[in-house]
Amino acid sequence: MNLYAGKILLVDLSEKEISVEPLRREWLKDYWGCWGLALRYFWDLVSPEVDPLSSENALVIMTGPFCGTLVPTSSRFCLVSKSPYTRTVLETNTGGAFGPELKFAGYDGIIIKGQSNSLSYLNISDDEVSIEDAESMAGKGIFETEKLLKEAAGSPEAKTLCIGPAGENLIGYACIGTETYRQMGRGGAGALFGSKKLKGIVCRGTGSLQVADMAAFLEKITQHKQTNLLTDNNLWANTDGTAVLVDVINDLGILPTRNFTCGAFEKKGGINSDAIKAAKRADRACTSCPLACGKFTRINGAEMEGPEYETLCLAGSNCEIDDLEQVIRFNRLCDDLGLDTISCGSTVALAMGLAEKGLHDFGLQFGHAKDYLDVVSEISHLSTDRGKQLALGAKKLAEKYKAEDFVTEVKGLEYAAYEPRGNYGMGLAYATSERGACHLRAFTAFAEDPYDIEALTQKVVDGQNFNAIKWSMCVCDFWGSINHEILSDLLGAGLGEPVTAQELALAGERIWNLSRLFNLKAGFTAADDSLPRKIMNQPLEKGTQSGKVFAKADFEKAKSLYYQLRDWDENGIPSTSKLNQLGLDSF
Amino acid sequence: MGKILYANPDLCTGCNRCVYICSAIKEGKFFPTKSRIHINNFSFNGHSVPSICFQCPKPDCQEACPQEAIYKDENDIVLVDKEKCDGCGDCVTACPYGMIEQDDQGLAYKCDYCDGDPACVKECYPEAIIYQAEDKTLRKLRGLQMKQRTETTNAGEKRHQLGRNLLSLIPQ
Repeated sequence: MNLYAGKILLVDLSEKEISVEPLRREWLKDYWGCWGLALRYFWDLVSPEVDPLSSENALVIMTGPFCGTLVPTSSRFCLVSKSPYTRTVLETNTGGAFGPELKFAGYDGIIIKGQSNSLSYLNISDDEVSIEDAESMAGKGIFETEKLLKEAAGSPEAKTLCIGPAGENLIGYACIGTETYRQMGRGGAGALFGSKKLKGIVCRGTGSLQVADMAAFLEKITQHKQTNLLTDNNLWANTDGTAVLVDVINDLGILPTRNFTCGAFEKKGGINSDAIKAAKRADRACTSCPLACGKFTRINGAEMEGPEYETLCLAGSNCEIDDLEQVIRFNRLCDDLGLDTISCGSTVALAMGLAEKGLHDFGLQFGHAKDYLDVVSEISHLSTDRGKQLALGAKKLAEKYKAEDFVTEVKGLEYAAYEPRGNYGMGLAYATSERGACHLRAFTAFAEDPYDIEALTQKVVDGQNFNAIKWSMCVCDFWGSINHEILSDLLGAGLGEPVTAQELALAGERIWNLSRLFNLKAGFTAADDSLPRKIMNQPLEKGTQSGKVFAKADFEKAKSLYYQLRDWDENGIPSTSKLNQLGLDSF
Repeated sequence: MGKILYANPDLCTGCNRCVYICSAIKEGKFFPTKSRIHINNFSFNGHSVPSICFQCPKPDCQEACPQEAIYKDENDIVLVDKEKCDGCGDCVTACPYGMIEQDDQGLAYKCDYCDGDPACVKECYPEAIIYQAEDKTLRKLRGLQMKQRTETTNAGEKRHQLGRNLLSLIPQ
């Protein structure tokens, strides 16, 4: 096969059975790979009402057609399942190097079913695959587990996915780590591994991938790389990394600060890209990527790749911590113990807010780093009462203390680092993301008019549809200027068959709608496409958008328009004609 | 003075594009394990260290070859004559850097600097791999790297070991 490996690895942890099945080629033209293809496989594997932490839930890990080739930024791959944190359908992805390794081992993806009866890891070495005992790794952090897995595989160049104690303890926002400092971060993917008693996966792949016409493929790659990727649109990732957003988003007045109370942070100089550059020791890249957005930093012995913008905000400005060394320490602890920094930072900020409002004192205060560092371990190990409470996540913690007015989440997933009172598009994006409040699916932070509901709503729809197909090719968001034409051009050369931009665009819309159908069948309704009370009622303080709210009437208008543009009814259900158009009528 | 290849671990980001372009050109497929250049990845330490063929002035591989299948061309590039190679593997054992290996037929293969226009150099965005005229500084830097030699039997293990050694030389 061209581009694809052509096989799916099937692992049943309950029966301890491993098998290989051919890739479902009949699904490729509609779903392509990565997100879309994983979702299509997942649809057939579970009922949308499945209990996420039960043995009936399945995990689908999937690479895209470009993974393992020279297409820049193509090494990403995803995991699709049902989230134990939000109970929505979950797609979470990461970069690094595991994806290409899996393809060179001969597999486009891995399906994991059932549940092991004791802690195990999966060892993949080309066509030799086995389930091995991981009891000796129990409780170990991700950093140490990676080393142990590589040793067990007998190769320092083997690649890994693994969880730390947070995942083993089924914390709702536990993540999966890879290549030390990268994660499948959101939605509790770590808890999914933990629920299956799967400590990790190690893979060594020594095979190859072919394309239809290597000379043409390489030529097109070089052309698009030079004329589109390596241009000012995207080179910020190389020169500054995501930290560049701290100043930019602050100046737009939408930098979440003090538990989403303010839109600007006076002390941002401590955590912005200048601070990162001063601490930088190396640029780091995922496999295939010239941009190398990763910034390996070190301050007073605390080191890691990162922190990225989301962490600089949610564990920085949102907690009013302006000391980069402390954010590095917080981030490194999360990366090792295996917690999503966005959810963890948000939950900690909420706890700081609860103390300020006199609702409960967890010993956490805005601007104070000591306890803020201590709680990461307490949460991961469930070792203190405070840790157990924070492990609930922001939504449940707010419910417990009747603090729903102070929390910012949708469908149980906490807001990311863009303040919707200063950019209505982000509010709609958070509300309509299938996995809860995610900033990635549609990104409107740089829209010309952050309050133009009509323009923003269209942008949200277009963004979601495009990202659905982009992530099915598993191309990185930091190739921000990529488009359907470039994707179809590269696919055509790789596959040796023509691919049109139109069919890719339609596939994106199809994948988005299939996610929607899953959530509807799982019990989600239009009411769950929501805006937090705080965003509707409490004026934003400080910064260029101070005084703003995203009023309920405006939000309802945006939401109603969103459903219309998508040809969904007023309950957010795709119309029959839309499903027919997308070939989803039988779903 | 001829040009030499030099890889700077300080600048290598671990993107592996050099590995992919090399195998694409030499094997016609994306085939990292058959690349003539390799990257040793140390994600925990935040560094990656390239393994390149030094086209040694006194190649151990050439000396070890009982068939005299390894020779130098007019540009001092060390090459394998596949007609003469009998697949004994002595060169693989002899190379202190793990940079000559055997293909599926058992024949030795190695980096040939792409006829004077190395593809890896063109692909390397951070310019961690350079190909330029030898000068005093370059010779010294390369000499420091070449001093790191090992006799571990497996080529991959040699490269990883030397990668680790070079990692510890990177200024903190």
